[in-house]
Amino acid sequence: MSNKAAIINRVKQQIRTQYDMPVLPIKGIEYADKIAQFKETLRAVGGEAVELKQGEDLDTVISLHYPEAKTIASNLEDTTLATISPDNVNSAHDLKNIDLAIVRGEIGVAENACVWVPQLMKERVICFISEYLVILLDKNSVVNNMHEAYEQINFHDSCFGVFISGPSKTADIEQALVVGAHGPKGVLVILL
Amino acid sequence: MSTKHTKAADLFIENKEQQVWHNKTLHFVRDKRDKMAMQLPEWEVLRETAHKIKMHTITHLDHYLDLFSTRAEANGIQVHWAKDAEEHNQIVYEILQSHKVRKLVKSKSMLAEECHLNPYLIDKGINVVESDLGERILQLLNEPPSHIVMPAIHLKRQEVGKLFEEKLHTEKDNSDPTYLTRAARAHLREEFLTADAAMTGANFGVAETGDIVVCTNEGNADMGTALPPLHIVTMGMEKVIPNLQSLSVFIRLLARSATGQPVTAYTSHYRKPREGCEMHLVIVDNGRSEALSNEDHIQTLKCIRCGACMNTCPVYRRSGGYSYTYFIPGPIGINLGMLHAPKEYYDNLSACSLCYSCNNVCPVKIDLADQIYKWRQNLDSFGKADPMKKVMSEGMKFMFERPALFRTGLKMAPIVNHMPRPLIYNGLNDWGKGRELPQFASESFAALWKKGKVSAANQKRSNHEQ
Repeated sequence: MSNKAAIINRVKQQIRTQYDMPVLPIKGIEYADKIAQFKETLRAVGGEAVELKQGEDLDTVISLHYPEAKTIASNLEDTTLATISPDNVNSAHDLKNIDLAIVRGEIGVAENACVWVPQLMKERVICFISEYLVILLDKNSVVNNMHEAYEQINFHDSCFGVFISGPSKTADIEQALVVGAHGPKGVLVILL
Repeated sequence: MSTKHTKAADLFIENKEQQVWHNKTLHFVRDKRDKMAMQLPEWEVLRETAHKIKMHTITHLDHYLDLFSTRAEANGIQVHWAKDAEEHNQIVYEILQSHKVRKLVKSKSMLAEECHLNPYLIDKGINVVESDLGERILQLLNEPPSHIVMPAIHLKRQEVGKLFEEKLHTEKDNSDPTYLTRAARAHLREEFLTADAAMTGANFGVAETGDIVVCTNEGNADMGTALPPLHIVTMGMEKVIPNLQSLSVFIRLLARSATGQPVTAYTSHYRKPREGCEMHLVIVDNGRSEALSNEDHIQTLKCIRCGACMNTCPVYRRSGGYSYTYFIPGPIGINLGMLHAPKEYYDNLSACSLCYSCNNVCPVKIDLADQIYKWRQNLDSFGKADPMKKVMSEGMKFMFERPALFRTGLKMAPIVNHMPRPLIYNGLNDWGKGRELPQFASESFAALWKKGKVSAANQKRSNHEQ
């Protein structure tokens, strides 16, 4: 088998003209109303965003959106709806029949409706295996574009993080868009 | 003057309806890409910056590979190096064997296709399950992808319905895309839950952090890697980029260019193995280092595999992915095939009208058409120039060097207008296939010029324009 040194040396020998790195960051698009743009883009990619209004109860808002959800996975203290925690299972496979998952997002991106969700749980599978997904997001953490988002992302020393933009989708059959390929069939971002 | 591409394209266009659909559907994706691009005032700055980041990274690749692999190892990922496809496949198999893996769920990887990994593993008794819907459809059909982003774009819903009827026992004659996708979801959910290992490709490797970044719409890579105790990543060495700041440039370009979406549904960053699990990374050369010293063709190493060059290519749209002999079709596939084995893949060079549309949509500004042109100039050097074209070039040279002969020829050209059709439209005249030749003018430009008719014609045109 080849080793690192052999391959890297070969690469080094093959390089001819060398080019400089451009100056970064570049200036990305900015929006007059980032939150409005975020909501609109999320709608366009098949998701939904709602703002939690003064005096509204989070559990009630979630229950009204997903009245049929029975098995709900979350490790957040913001909600009492959870019936199972991704932190207290022996195996990720124990989370296979989840109707709804509730997780926290840390950055919202107006240009493409991405929400940064670092893995602050033992088993991240709930974000993908659940039929529907709710993401809680502080509305002050919505930024304009991905350049701003990557300036801020935090892994919290975890093993994984993902930008989620709307529900899982595919157009692999005749380019006909179908929402809910493998992951959630719907994503609701609740702006706090 | 036919090549393997033109012969296969003849078969594709026999089904006129399918050809028209294919052409329109891919151009629709191109239009969506344009709409996305036009929403960003900085679009061209993004492309130029992406090009420069890639040129910098691949010409400092030794440094970035060292940094990336060191960081990945510090994060607990086991890094392997493969000089070619054979080593790559061996490494993957050994990892699977050491974990007694029987079932492997894969998300889409063009590198795995390049290395012919699936047949290799299946031959050794591993149950390999593709999890991207398009890839799964093709796996069940035992066919290769015909597009790198939309692998089953050549199939109609009825064909998928029929396949699922047989393999997944769906309802007879139900070819509704939502119904079929749901059936695949249920079927693949079972595969995810019973897999012993997951494999993904890599869209980007971030040197500064050691992150492996994978972009999908379906969430199949994430579902696959979140369940079993083993995750193998396979990555071509040119996928390394310097840092997260650079990544932001590419993420903004990738999905907009590929499918006309603002971003893929999932942009996943794999940094460390899951708790109690193992993560392996195989970094593959397989001809990439050789391309570094080829300054005419080095820019192919910038490719981020978005497929925009295919969607815009008039030849690809009208001939389909299977008309190309290399596993990656379209303008980038023509060039990658030539770099890989020119004598094997030179047929694809004919699949280009040099319209340069690919150059203009490529998010990292690869000089795709220029490279195809350069390869064509070199065809003779490896004995693959078209003998008919060589004869004609010689003939034209002979004529152009003899003005009197040229003028006589020109004067006689209008005779062709009155020749019987079989004399003009026959097997010897490729330009007469599928189209009508223009009429030769009764007087040549040179003759008109001498009579002073050309300036009069100009005068008429400028009056008209006013």
